[in-house]
Parts: sequence; C-alpha cells; structure tokens
Amino acid sequence: MSKKMLIEALRCNRTPRAPWFPYACINCAYLLGETADRYLQDPELIAKGVEAAAKRYRADGIPLVFDLSVEANAVGCELSWWPDNVPSVATHPCAQMVSPRQLGLKLPTKDSGRWPVLLEAGKLAKPRLDALDCAMVGLYCGPLTLASHLAGVRIFTDFYKNQEFAHEVLEFAAEVNAVSAAFYAELGCEVIGIVDPVASQVKSATFREFVTPYVQKGIQVIHDAGATSMFLICGDCTKVMEEVCTIGTQSFAIDEQLNLGYVRDMALRHRVGFAGNLKLTLSLSLGVIPPREDALVSLAAGGTHGFVLAPG
Amino acid sequence: MLPLEEILKKLHDAVVGFDEAGAAQAARLLIEGGYDPLEGIMHGLSTGMDTVGALFKQQEYFVPEVLLCAEAMNAGMEVLRPHLQASSTRTLGTIILGTVQGDVHDIGKNIVKMMLEIGGFDVHDLGNNVPHKRFAEELARTDADLVGVSAMMTTTMMGMRSLIGMVKETKPHVGVLIGGAPVTREIAKMFNADGYADSAADVVGEAKRVMAAVKSA
Repeated sequence: MSKKMLIEALRCNRTPRAPWFPYACINCAYLLGETADRYLQDPELIAKGVEAAAKRYRADGIPLVFDLSVEANAVGCELSWWPDNVPSVATHPCAQMVSPRQLGLKLPTKDSGRWPVLLEAGKLAKPRLDALDCAMVGLYCGPLTLASHLAGVRIFTDFYKNQEFAHEVLEFAAEVNAVSAAFYAELGCEVIGIVDPVASQVKSATFREFVTPYVQKGIQVIHDAGATSMFLICGDCTKVMEEVCTIGTQSFAIDEQLNLGYVRDMALRHRVGFAGNLKLTLSLSLGVIPPREDALVSLAAGGTHGFVLAPG
Repeated sequence: MLPLEEILKKLHDAVVGFDEAGAAQAARLLIEGGYDPLEGIMHGLSTGMDTVGALFKQQEYFVPEVLLCAEAMNAGMEVLRPHLQASSTRTLGTIILGTVQGDVHDIGKNIVKMMLEIGGFDVHDLGNNVPHKRFAEELARTDADLVGVSAMMTTTMMGMRSLIGMVKETKPHVGVLIGGAPVTREIAKMFNADGYADSAADVVGEAKRVMAAVKSA
C-alpha cells in the first residue's frame, strides 16, 4: 500500500506499479455486516469500514464515502435512505425555476446536513489510514449533478430555455463545491475528487459552458491546499473526453464503457493521470467476466505512467 | 392547403429541431387540412422521434436535446390528441412501467413512456423507486401484457432479477422488458427478461416483438 504512489500516478508520473484505488463505500458497510443507512449515519462505523476495506483490498487510496447526496442534503434537499445503497435525493427545491438565491439557500457549514457525521468520520479514519499508508480521498458531488439535484430534470432543458436560471443554479453549486473541497482539505485528504456523473450526458459545447467554469472554484481550493485533484465522470463520455482532460484537475476517472487504450492516449497527451477501468457491472457485480482477467486487461492497457487501477 | 407530405415533414422537422411552436402550428395545419391526426402522429411526430433516437445513438444529440425534442413532440400531440377517432386510439397492448426500487432516476423511463404511448401502447406509469409489491398490485389490477423496468445504477439494477422472478411466478404470460444505463442484452438474458432496449428509440419495436413472442408461447 502506498499513498505516495497513488498521488504520483494521479499527477501523471511514472510509478513502479499501477496503484489501486477501490471506490468502496457501501461495500465497506457490507464488510462490517451493517446496512448502508446505519453505516452512513455513524462516524465510527464509517471509520471502521474504510479501514477494513483498505486492509482487505490492500488499497493505495480509499474514499471516505462515495455518496453524491451529501452536498444536496447540506443545502436542503431531502433524502430517501436505503439499507443497501447510498441515499437518493428526493426533493428538488429549485424545480419551479426559483433560484437558490431567491430561495435563500445557504452555503453549508460544518453543522449542515450530514457534514458533522462525515467530518467526525474523517477525523477517526485519517490516522488509521495513515498507519496503512493508504490515502484518504474526499469525493464531492460535482456542479452539474448537484444542479440536477437542486432543480431536477429541468436543468437539462434550461441549458437552452432558461440559461440565466441554469447559470444561477450552477454558480451556487460551484460555491457549495468549494465548501466541500475545503472541508475535505481540512480533514487532510491527500486526494479530492469532483464526481459529476451526468456531465457525460451533455454535448461538448454544453460541457464547456455549464461544467468547466463551475468546477474551477473547487479545484482552486484543492490545489491551494496542496491536495491532488480528480474529476470522475460516468457513462459514455467519449464526446467530452477533450473537455474532461482539460478541465483543470490533475487526473480523471472514467466509466467501464470507455476503451482504456483510447483514454490512456488522451490522458498522456494532456499530461493528466487517469483511473479505470474495471467493469463494475459485468465483472465486479455479476462475475460474467472473471474479475482477475478483467483486472489484467485494465493493467495491460493502463500501464505504469499516470495510471490508477480503479472500478470503471 | 398544404399537401400531407409537406405537413408531415414540418412535424418531423419541428420535433428534430425542438421547435414546440412549430410542432403545434404544423399539427393545426394538419387538422385544418382535414387530414387524419393519426397520420400526423405516426408519420410526422413519431418519425421525428425516430430521427432523434438515431441522433442520440450517433452522439449528435444528448439528454438535453432529446428532452427538448420530446417537449416539441408533446406540443404537437396536445393539438392532435383531441381530434383522434376512438378507433384510432385502440392500443397495441398494456405495459406497466417504472424504475426499480431504490432508483429515482427517471429521465430515460419518461422518454420511454412517451415513445410507447406514441407507438400505440397503453402505459401505466408507476413512477420511480417502485417497490416490487407495487408492480405486483398493478399486475393484479390490470390485464397488462408487459412490464417495463429501468435502472440507472449498477446497485439498483441488481433488484431487477427478483422483480422479473416475481412477475414470471405470478403472471408467466406477461413479458418483461428492461433497460437503463448499466443494463446490457447479456444482463437482460441473465436476469431472464424477455426483452431489452438499448435506448428509447428501440423500445417500441422491442415491446412489439416481446408481445408477439409471449402471446405465441
């Protein structure tokens, strides 16, 4: 286990081997025999869970949580909780085209939503992960996905029909992101990632107008703290790969749908680290493809220059 | 009076160009011209959405554009629907639709719903995060031919297997179609689903195929 190796790879340097970054979250609860809802509301369980997962998987880095509802909940969205999954966002306060400013939504503080639990969990987990030489990774919900939590599906059509409103929601999301980045930096997270899964569902021009500008505040906070930055995207993001590579983070992570050879060439051309590409569904969840063979394919394609082995 | 072909092209182009006002205007031209509104739906609006589906597959259109096209199609439908003859509204079949329990992502499901409705199906939309029990209740209450289920996440997708098992146990003659971001044809087969749609553009054809297959079984 080596947090240094993870950071080196994410900064697009050569490493003796490809570091390994499992995105365990609810799986940590499973390892403890706990339900997801109980686990995510108990700081000690989270700390125990990430420690257990880091040991079991011999991880070079592990996220404190991988839960995109934290930011939305911290600014007022209600959640639905599940025993076997992360919570989902159940209400969208800006859905009637009322902007966050008009609604009077406040930026999160350390007392907002689930932050007290996560901050306590981070304090407990950090020394345990340090002892294992495993990086603690802070992941927060990126601006476009957070905007869709705040405004609902309408945000996608507002890119055309109500651009001013869309920009207002995204501006607020960007500020929320900067707060999350600061909280994770204060916890001592060596790596901080912006997770924006729905950013793959827009064309490149929309990405450049409604995603790229709104991740910058968070990136600035991450880099000012000396942490290493990531941008994590889901789905088939082929058409926005150029934008992903140039978004300003030191690395990015992609979905299993992408060809890792293509991704590697793009990443190295732009001198950014890249993470992937284990098949989450066919290999890790269903075992249709033997996970060992799947890992070998990713390792062969990824190489040891700027590559981090991770789920896709 | 404009020829029918010209009006159908206007309907098609308005959908593809996400022009709500244009779609409504073309629909009014169709009615004023005394043409069959069903023609406008099937060969104007629907063919427009077929083109949109193709553009989505080619990654020329993405979620925002598809949603805008759907809104344009709805604008045309609003004008045409009141003029449909009762005989024109006969359904091809009934489908119960919803996203699987634990999954609140329903953008794709809503587009699928629209495609099925325009394709001639009677859709009972149960919404998102639908417990298996709710599907069972709706199956018992209706004489549905099909159940359609979507999932956005790998984790929630796993719940489809038990839902399909429940449907097959209680109503073996009902076909099940599944879809959504993590779902593949291979997974559909593994979960014992009768059909799989790669995108909303494929769903009507697949629903018709599954209906024919389960009826003849």
